[in-house]
Amino acid sequence: MYEAVHAYPDGEATVARHAATAARHGYDGIVVRSRDALDAAGDEADGGAVRSGAETRSSPVRDPTALSEEHGVDVVDAVEIDADDPTSASGAVGNYRSDRTVVCVVGGDDALNRFAVEQSRVDILVRPMAGGGDVNHVLAKAARDNGVRVEFDFGPVLRETGGKRVRALSDLRKLREIVSHYDAPYVVSANARSHLELRAPRELVAVGEAIGFDAEAVREGLRAWGDLVDRNRDRRSEAFIEPGVRRGKHEEDGC
Amino acid sequence: MKHLPKHLRPRWRYVAVGIETWTDAEVGRRAFQRALWYSAGNLLGDAGSADADLTLLSFSHADGTGEAVVRVRHGHVDAARAAIACVSEVDGEPVGILVRGISGTVRACEERYMGRATASSTQRDVAFEGAERAATVRGDACDVRTESGRVGAMTFDTE
Repeated sequence: MYEAVHAYPDGEATVARHAATAARHGYDGIVVRSRDALDAAGDEADGGAVRSGAETRSSPVRDPTALSEEHGVDVVDAVEIDADDPTSASGAVGNYRSDRTVVCVVGGDDALNRFAVEQSRVDILVRPMAGGGDVNHVLAKAARDNGVRVEFDFGPVLRETGGKRVRALSDLRKLREIVSHYDAPYVVSANARSHLELRAPRELVAVGEAIGFDAEAVREGLRAWGDLVDRNRDRRSEAFIEPGVRRGKHEEDGC
Repeated sequence: MKHLPKHLRPRWRYVAVGIETWTDAEVGRRAFQRALWYSAGNLLGDAGSADADLTLLSFSHADGTGEAVVRVRHGHVDAARAAIACVSEVDGEPVGILVRGISGTVRACEERYMGRATASSTQRDVAFEGAERAATVRGDACDVRTESGRVGAMTFDTE
């Protein structure tokens, strides 16, 4: 199971601290949503070896491969696009799609939610209900048809109190009913901004059950991050041509 | 009062909870117990909270790590786990919570999950983001003070 985190400078813990904590909590990997926290995974192929030799390692460490090896969990470079309107979001998606493994669009606005679910280049629509955003059957169908995952954000349930939490819970319930009715793909995350906000998978499952989710649905939502990462890595590998078409072992250049 | 016959006594499960905070945070036993009950009251309601019980049996916290044994009524462990996970701060200090395991007796709970040796913390300056900064180092973990506040890092980040 994977969890998606906000790392320093966006959050209060570095990627390394998140990775160490996630390993202790029993996660297989973390998806780092903060754009400035990690180098893109493709870069180290040419620069990584040189960088570690010639120059001292940057502090905090930004190389996903080194972090994965040090802490024993998969560290995935992702980006969260928080734009004001669909036009600028579209530009940002185009820019980051080619060099980041996972591309998320922050929702919370009807136009942005609509944009995100209609773009198959977008992997995940995160926090769709935050700040007055809404999701309806049209968006759920579009998300299903375009394979855009919708995020269930457990952050407010874990950390807010009072009216804010009540509103977050009722939004989660509405989203759950729509998403499950149209069978749209989804992910679950606690949206941790520091290592102290991370919770283990079993705890998230228990919280999910307490607020009306099916235990297996929450587990599925945590696994979905990992499945998405595998799919995107496969797509970015050299052998991939298009879905269902791969470069075979027997193929040789020049024939 | 005379104690209950065995078949009428409540059956308990004992939950071992690992606690993590910033190294300069002080978290007391009473404050943690209050946070637990408050969280259970909010998530499960009064009835669910009474069912789960969530009495703190032992608690220790120092240098940013701690552990506790929480008593939970048998059959309400999942609800209790959810309530424990929803403890996000104690007395305004953010806390990280990890349920280490659950046992049927206090003794088994303590033997299996408690008393893990934690490295003691030291104050020193570390290199972080190209500058020397004051930090508290405990084992591999390293809480750095920056202009914008505290940042959780690892010694791996600062070497």
